[in-house]
Amino acid sequence: MQLPDRFDPLDPATQPVVPVPGYPNTIRRNPSRAPFRRSLTRTELTGPLDLSAKLRPGDDNLAELAPGRMAQGQLIHVGGRVLDEDGRPVAGAIVELWQANAGGRYFHPIDQRDAPLDPNFIGNGRTRSDDAGRYGFFTIKPGAYPVPDSGRWWRPPHIHISVLGPGCLMRLVTQMYFPGDPLNAIDRILNSVPDAGARARCIAHFVAPEAVMGDWQGFTHDLVLRGRHATPPL
Amino acid sequence: MSNHPNAPLVPTAWATIGPFFPQTFFRDGDNDLTRLAPDAPQTAQGSPIWLTGRVLQEGGGPCVNAVLEAWQADAAGRFRHPRDPDWQKADPGFFGWGRAWTDAEGRFAFRSIIPGGYRDATGLRAPHINLAIIGSGIMGRLATCVFLPGFAEANAADPVLSSLPETLRPLLVARADGQGPDGAPRFSLDLPLRGDPAEETPFFED
Repeated sequence: MQLPDRFDPLDPATQPVVPVPGYPNTIRRNPSRAPFRRSLTRTELTGPLDLSAKLRPGDDNLAELAPGRMAQGQLIHVGGRVLDEDGRPVAGAIVELWQANAGGRYFHPIDQRDAPLDPNFIGNGRTRSDDAGRYGFFTIKPGAYPVPDSGRWWRPPHIHISVLGPGCLMRLVTQMYFPGDPLNAIDRILNSVPDAGARARCIAHFVAPEAVMGDWQGFTHDLVLRGRHATPPL
Repeated sequence: MSNHPNAPLVPTAWATIGPFFPQTFFRDGDNDLTRLAPDAPQTAQGSPIWLTGRVLQEGGGPCVNAVLEAWQADAAGRFRHPRDPDWQKADPGFFGWGRAWTDAEGRFAFRSIIPGGYRDATGLRAPHINLAIIGSGIMGRLATCVFLPGFAEANAADPVLSSLPETLRPLLVARADGQGPDGAPRFSLDLPLRGDPAEETPFFED
């Protein structure tokens, strides 16, 4: 296994600026003090090489809860590569994904919005990147939803993604957006990232239907764990 | 708003945004660093401990549904990763990583062993457990490092702990707190994410 050997400081232009208006947890839960700098040594540069015994992959189809139990919504495939600072593929990374259903509601006790739950959709999965760093999920396109008490802020359709690479510094929690959605341009979370290029790296690419092998819409989305081209954490 | 007991719960603005992790991502044993898998035996090496505490938000309320990820060396101070020159001698029965998530009171618990200290390019490292906190509103992760009581000399010499202003260092040293459910010594540390600068947890750049 080839392991990343460079961990430059993260570029602030790629990091979200908090607090985000209308998102009180970004005030309550972010330290008032800047983080302390430390040398990156053994303890930070190491990490579990293979998490698959603990975080078991193999759950990469969210669209079909059980044989014949298809979720409501537009069937999509989201796939791409996990990459390191130098654009090299990261093999064996655990990729976790969770999202709202087609009506924009999460299957989660905290989400008590009045949108319907889909009995055939839980909305989370876990897989592992292959030797070329590739990952992929079948799922349905999540719905947009209004954020209560926020002054008419709607979250655009988005998918939460968590990546655990072979080292504690290769840890990313982010959100993937869909290209062309008019809510993207006014999403307060996406817009908390100062750099336009970095924001663009949170938006998936549409795959032309003729390049898709089945009856689903295809999206590609690379996840870059570090460096100037890092995917912003959201 | 109605006070009727059957009135629907009105979500607050924080309720439906940000990463709140699915509870199905957590299985019993994920918070146990001493096992290679939740159903594997515990490592035979080292002294078992619990590390517990609460994650608190501004005002001292609980930070609910936060994820904590822990990483530490084995009992001899080795990491099973090629970045450690002695990694092939690392305890093959020790995983060193675990994940916990906070309950309605912000509480978390990890089961582990006392990590070994070691020497690296920065000096002599005291036994420590790296913690990362992820949750709604945090946008990324907050990284810190927890030390244990009973290693006063090593803690005082630790290059990371001693790089902090002196008044903040005690905030990263857990306190002895009786025993865990299996009788292993328990250490506790609360992690206020934001608050009085004298009490707010020191975090580190990644």
